[in-house]
Amino acid sequence: MSSVILTGLGKRYGRAPALTGVDLRLSSGVTGLLGPNGAGKTTLLRILATALAADEGQVRVFGQNPADTAGRLAIRRRLGYLPQESGFPRGFTAFGFVDYMAILKEWSDRAARHAEVRRVVGLADLTAVATKRVHALSGGQRRRVLLAQALIGRPDLLVLDEPTTGLDPQQRARLRDILSTAGETATLVISTHQTEDVAALCERVIVLDQGRVHFDGSVEGLISSAAGRVWLATDRHPEAQHAWRIGTGRWRNVGDAPADVEVVDPTLEDAYLLLVGDRARETEKEVVA
Amino acid sequence: MTQQPRTWHANEAELRALADGVAGPALGASVESHLMRCGACRARMNDLVDGVLLDSVWSAIRETVEAPRPSVFERLLRKFGVSAESGRLLVAVPAMRGAWLIGATAALLFAGGAALFASGFGLALFLLVAPLVPVMGVAAAYGGDADPSHELVVTTPYSAGRLLLLRTAAVLATSLPVAALVGLALPGPAWLAVAWLIPGLAFVSLSLAAAPFVGATVSSGAVAATWSAIAIAVSKIGDPMDLAGPAVQVGSLVLCAAAVTTILTHFRLFDLPRGQT
Repeated sequence: MSSVILTGLGKRYGRAPALTGVDLRLSSGVTGLLGPNGAGKTTLLRILATALAADEGQVRVFGQNPADTAGRLAIRRRLGYLPQESGFPRGFTAFGFVDYMAILKEWSDRAARHAEVRRVVGLADLTAVATKRVHALSGGQRRRVLLAQALIGRPDLLVLDEPTTGLDPQQRARLRDILSTAGETATLVISTHQTEDVAALCERVIVLDQGRVHFDGSVEGLISSAAGRVWLATDRHPEAQHAWRIGTGRWRNVGDAPADVEVVDPTLEDAYLLLVGDRARETEKEVVA
Repeated sequence: MTQQPRTWHANEAELRALADGVAGPALGASVESHLMRCGACRARMNDLVDGVLLDSVWSAIRETVEAPRPSVFERLLRKFGVSAESGRLLVAVPAMRGAWLIGATAALLFAGGAALFASGFGLALFLLVAPLVPVMGVAAAYGGDADPSHELVVTTPYSAGRLLLLRTAAVLATSLPVAALVGLALPGPAWLAVAWLIPGLAFVSLSLAAAPFVGATVSSGAVAATWSAIAIAVSKIGDPMDLAGPAVQVGSLVLCAAAVTTILTHFRLFDLPRGQT
């Protein structure tokens, strides 16, 4: 049973289309959303989080329609949302802000609420700074305060917009642990620019570009689409879409490999670069034609 | 105290007495000071202590340390019977902070002072400013920049309309008494002190009614600009007292009733995601 069903979803900002004809079904597990800046990732997540209404198509979350009052409320009761950006009311401590969000999430019993706030503050590794004002925290810590509030009440749908921004490698590893555990029962959708996070966490990956879905499948499926298109050479190849010199001094070329080269296993990043690069070329050809 | 053979370590009976809370002051103090230095006895003590009790003590300590200290406003609200939860929701916006209240009071004192020293013009100024103070409070409670975590707040199950009304009630509760006190100090009939009350309520409800369509900043700005234009025109052509006259009062009542009806019939609009009508 799919927890999220999107059919023919469309959204425009003025005349500029942000999403066009998006059809998706999501169920429990971690789904990664990749795409260049402006691809529509944040728009899609904001629609899922009931922060933004779609212009076209149908949205169903847990069978509920976010366009009706009762449906929206039912979705919001089961939702945890980490927006790409959010400010904080002045003067709140980390604990105080998460507590404020818990009140808004209908945790009216003080003892139970504070126990839950302590749990999520601990999960986000913020116990040591729980009594500090949010405005005195570092960028990564503030990001984790926002993550902590998203985890309140073990939501069935977690919508996380770039959760790994500003985290160091240890914090990212810890976040992966939290998210993979949550993904055992809940539906998680995360957008990111870090392909390694997707490779490490997600059973499914969706690539958005210019408001359309260009890939929807397993991480292995996306990686295998780049098989034979990554090779090592002594120099940058003129036909390569991307090339960089790696630590050993040789060049890693990504593109259409010529014959008789030393082909290596692609990574998710290679596959993503190729997918988006191929798309850009097709668009160019269309424009020229 | 019964004499027991002393060893280098506390014996079972002494540890148990301390754990059960029945050791006398002398025994308790000496076992405690021994425990501070002796890891082996601490480990034995662990097994004797009730884990549930320890956990509850620890969470009570954390509760005291971590739970946010209520601000002056929150404590004041508690005195008036507002729950701690509602208090928390109220103080998250600029309208509930000292700076805003000081600003509102200063504006009223200035207008009131002008009324005292420059009667006609000053009175018009007071009647212009007083009903707008709560309107500005609403903007500071719900305007675009008022709640920096708006994107998050709107996606919670808590009703945005209810939150708005709660914050409006708090704005009215803090700004109306100040305006009434300044009004009482003015020359002229005593009813002048509250003559701006109905227009004030009308402007607040108008701003709220229009807020879901154009945003609270625009709606309160438009209301303030319109009233200022009317007030200036009236005091230029006629008598400033007309600003508190029956025409304004009746007009305000009608506006207020219309705006409140709009709010009640369109209450669900406050919870809408952006872009939905």
